[in-house]
Formats: sequence, structure tokens, C-alpha cells
Amino acid sequence: MTRPGTTPRPAAAPPAHRTRSWRRRRAGRRLGGLAADLLIAAVALGPILWGLSTSLKPASEILAYPPELVPSRPTLEHYALLFTTGIHRFVLNSAVVSVVAVLLSLAIGSLAAYALARLRFRGKTALLFGVVALMSIPLPSVLVPTFTLLTSVGLADSLTGLALLYTAYQLPIVVWLLYGYFGSLPIELEQAARIDGCSRIETLRKVVLPLSGPGLVAAGLFVLTFAWNDFVVAVVMVSSESVKTLPVAIYGYLGFYGRDWGPLTASAMLSILPVIAVFLLFQRYFLSGMTGGSIKG
Amino acid sequence: MSGERAIETKERQGLRRPPKARRSPEAATAWGFVLPLVVAELAFVAAPLALGAWYSLFRVDYFELTQFRGLGNYWTVLTSTMVQQSLVATLLFSAFSLLFTVGLGMALALRLEADTRTNTWMRAIVLVPYVISMLVGSLLLRWIYSRDAGLSGLLLGPFGLADFSLLADPATAMAALVSNAVWRDSAFAMIVLLAGLKAIPGQLYAAARVDGAGPWMRFTRITLPLLRVPILIAVVRLLIHFVNVLTFALVLTGGGPNNATQTTGLAMYRLGFVDFRIGEANALALLVFVFNLIMIGANLVLFRRGRSLSP
Repeated sequence: MTRPGTTPRPAAAPPAHRTRSWRRRRAGRRLGGLAADLLIAAVALGPILWGLSTSLKPASEILAYPPELVPSRPTLEHYALLFTTGIHRFVLNSAVVSVVAVLLSLAIGSLAAYALARLRFRGKTALLFGVVALMSIPLPSVLVPTFTLLTSVGLADSLTGLALLYTAYQLPIVVWLLYGYFGSLPIELEQAARIDGCSRIETLRKVVLPLSGPGLVAAGLFVLTFAWNDFVVAVVMVSSESVKTLPVAIYGYLGFYGRDWGPLTASAMLSILPVIAVFLLFQRYFLSGMTGGSIKG
Repeated sequence: MSGERAIETKERQGLRRPPKARRSPEAATAWGFVLPLVVAELAFVAAPLALGAWYSLFRVDYFELTQFRGLGNYWTVLTSTMVQQSLVATLLFSAFSLLFTVGLGMALALRLEADTRTNTWMRAIVLVPYVISMLVGSLLLRWIYSRDAGLSGLLLGPFGLADFSLLADPATAMAALVSNAVWRDSAFAMIVLLAGLKAIPGQLYAAARVDGAGPWMRFTRITLPLLRVPILIAVVRLLIHFVNVLTFALVLTGGGPNNATQTTGLAMYRLGFVDFRIGEANALALLVFVFNLIMIGANLVLFRRGRSLSP
């Protein structure tokens, strides 16, 4: 087990106390460490893998006792059922709302973040604190009034309303991440562009944004996963079949399919497989984003 | 590295000391740039809150304000048994979830601190429950905890409890709800604490070792005191999350049995979107929001201090 602050031991001839029993103890500790890692992974991934396994079993074997951990006769029947009942529409709705929210929040967010990072103006400190405060407002606490408001302006129950809400909810984290990122870019490049006659907006578009790939990716991923995963906001705002997002549809299946766990776990897998793929590809951006929101790591 | 640090310091001063106010083209441009952000937040966060506060003072029938009630809705809400029960449920849920989430997060952070290849993978694995949708996570746990899955029978059968249903008994249903929170949110605690651990200079441990301090001594005398701010940040942010969360209870237990797991978030949802008692729902939402404001204030204070932790 490694302890905080342990510096790597210099490679030297083993000292006298590294006897056989020392080596055995070390091997034992490694084995213990491996067992602990396996246990952690089993707890973290177990429910997902068990859901995957269930979704691939024929209906007759899902409730078999004792349960099979790995389906012996895997089938895609539950996935096929979902597609014949039109799940692709909900997937499409989720994808459209997520992409629109990502584009909107990156556009608005990078403008604001650039101003906060590079321009001097009155009220900047207050704005920065506002951004941090907004990052910690929990969604459920504003749901009821938001629904009240959206209904009165006719934006409830529409994909437009959802995309706008997701944008507003994720903008603070986007601004915060980009603010940190823009601030860390060398300012000389921007000064050079200014001297060459670029306006502020041209400097942002032609110099800052092209250099900010990783920052934009981190911020975009946050919006994307939030909008794709969100259930609470969507279930409240949306009621028509045609504008349901995937999580709302899955919640609906819970009532419709009852204890029919085949289609239920299959729909769960459809929702999380894209997320896991994106996460594994870009996980270091997620990490930098998460710590950026709390402490710099 | 040192260049980065210089910028860091400059930013930090920027946070504390506002630049001198002046009317300049730069300020005008700046306000133009932040305007869309301000408008979005005013329209979709501030305006709803203001409207909610207004609605909370009325009797509302299907979104029609019918009768001014003053603080009547607040009184109705605070004296209703459902809300009182939900406060107890929320308190229990948040306390246990916080305890186990931060504890497990700390254990994971200590274990996975060194940047080895295995640890990098393990961190990613631990984070998976956190990045997938809460709805889907709760759904998968509900499947595991249901008697249909056969897993509980397999695990508890040898103890003569094959017929036991976790979600049918108030105490174990609450335990299931807490486990849902711990399963998902320990990763968040781990990441925050990990960032804090990385900021502790290694020499401190080396010096303590030379002075003969054992692992426990080093943990309690160096790690814990220096992690105070990150721990508080994790606690405050998780507390905000737990007090408000409704997905876990809605999907995993549905608030049952006997409302034992009906948290305040779920009560608010029921009041507003199942019973359509919009006036009372807004009153409860605002009460919860006031608690959140206090926590957000704490978060801001800690956040300022947390920034000075950056390496």
C-alpha cells in the first residue's frame, strides 16, 4: 500500500533486512492489494455488468434460479423489442438536445470566460463569485418554480425549452473551466494579435479558441453527459411522447414493463454504453474538470 | 511551471481585489461578452426563483393564482405530516450517506493516490457509476435488490433468509437508498480528496518519518489537518446534493415502504407534479432553497480558501 508522499525508493542493492520473509510479506501485500482492487472494481462495475448480462438473456432465463452470471444463450430480443416500439426516437431527442446544449453553452461560455479572464471591468469579482455560487445550486430546488415559469411562457414540454435549461444550468461550470483555461494561455499571443489589428472577438476566435482544444473538450463533455443523463429536469418539463428524452422514456418503461427486466435492462444499457465509451476515451478531461470545480489538482 | 504559478497568483488577486472601476471601451466590450451568460442565468435561474416566491404566497389552482394566502402555504407545508416525515427521512439519508461516502472516498483516495498504471485504471473504474445517469444507476440497483434477480436468494439463502426482500422493510429500504448514494457518489469524494492529497508536500511525510512517526501518526497529524478544507468542500457539496436528490428515492424505492424513504426532494416532486399543489410545492421548494443558500455560502467561503491550496 502506497502512502501519501512516499518518494520512489532509489534502486540499490537490497539491504540486509530484505530477507526471504520480507519478500514473502511484500508478495502477500501485493496479493492483498490485487484482491482489494478486484473487490472495488466488482462493486463499482457489478451492477452494470449484471444489467448487461440480464439484458442479453432470453426472457425465460432471466428469473431462473440460481441465476446464471453469464448468459449461456445470449439474445438481442429485448433490444429488438425496444427498437420496434420506437426507442430510437427518444435516443434521437436526447442526442439533439445534448448537442444543442453543448454548442450553445460553449458559445456563450467562451465569450463570458474570455471577458472574465482577460478584460478589466467593474463587477468582475461579483460575477466570478456568482458563477461559483450558481455551480452549487441544486437542480431539484428550482424545479417547481422553473416548471411554473416555463409553462407560463409556453416553453414547457418542448425540446427547445429543455436545451435552453440545460445550457443555463451548465453554463457556470463551462465558464469556470474556460476561465481557468484561458487564463493559463500565454497572453503575448493575444497582444500580438491585438497589435496586428484584431478586435477582441477576432482575437478570441482566431487565437484563443484554436489554442483551447482541451479546455473546450472538458467543458463540452460536462454539458454532454449532463444533458444526456438528466432525468429530473426532463421528467418534469416534458410530457408529450414526441419530445421525451431517453431517460424519461426509460422511466416510463419502468411502469410499462413492470417487472419485465429484459427490456428494462436493455434500455439501461442503451443509455449508458455511449456514456462509458465517451468517458473512457476522454477520462482525463473529466478529471481535470471535476477538480477544477472544487480544488485545483 | 513557475509561469503558471505567476498567472495563478494574478488570478487569485483578481478574485479578491476588484480592478479599479473605470468607464472604458474595454469595459463595454466585456459587458457585451458576459451579457448572454447573465441573461441566461437571470431567465432560467433567477426568474423562476422570483416567480416561485410569488406563487408560494397564493392558493394556486392549475397555475391560476386564486387567493392570496400570505405565509399560509408555508404553515401548511411545515405542519403536514408528509413533509415532517420527509425531513426525518432526508436527515437519516443524508447523515448516513455523507458518513459512508466521505469515509469510502477517503479510503479510495489514500489507496489510489500514487500515479501507477493500475491506480489510473482503478480511478476510472470507480468513476464509472458517477458518470452514468442516476436514473439508470438506481434502476440497475433496483434490479439487483429485487427478489426477482435471485441474487439476494443466492447470497442470503444460506442464512435462511432466501425470502427476504430488502426494499420491503423500512430499515433495509433506507439502507438500500444509502447504498445507492454511496455507490454513485464516493467517486466524487475520492476525486476532491485526491486533489487535496496531491497538494500536500511530500517532504512533510519524509520529515515525520525521520522523526519516527508511524503511518497512523502521519495520517492523523499531517494528512487529516491538511485535508481539512478539501474534506469540508466534499462534505458541503455532497450535503447539498443529498438533501436535494430525488432520483434515488423515486426510482429505487418509490418512497416506500410506508414513506420511510420519501425524502424532501421526493415530497416536493409529489406535491408539485403528482398532486399539482403548486402553491405549497413552491413554498416547500423555497424553504429547501434557503437551506441550500446557507450551504452555498459555506461552499463559497471554502472555495476561496481551497484555491490557496493549489500546488
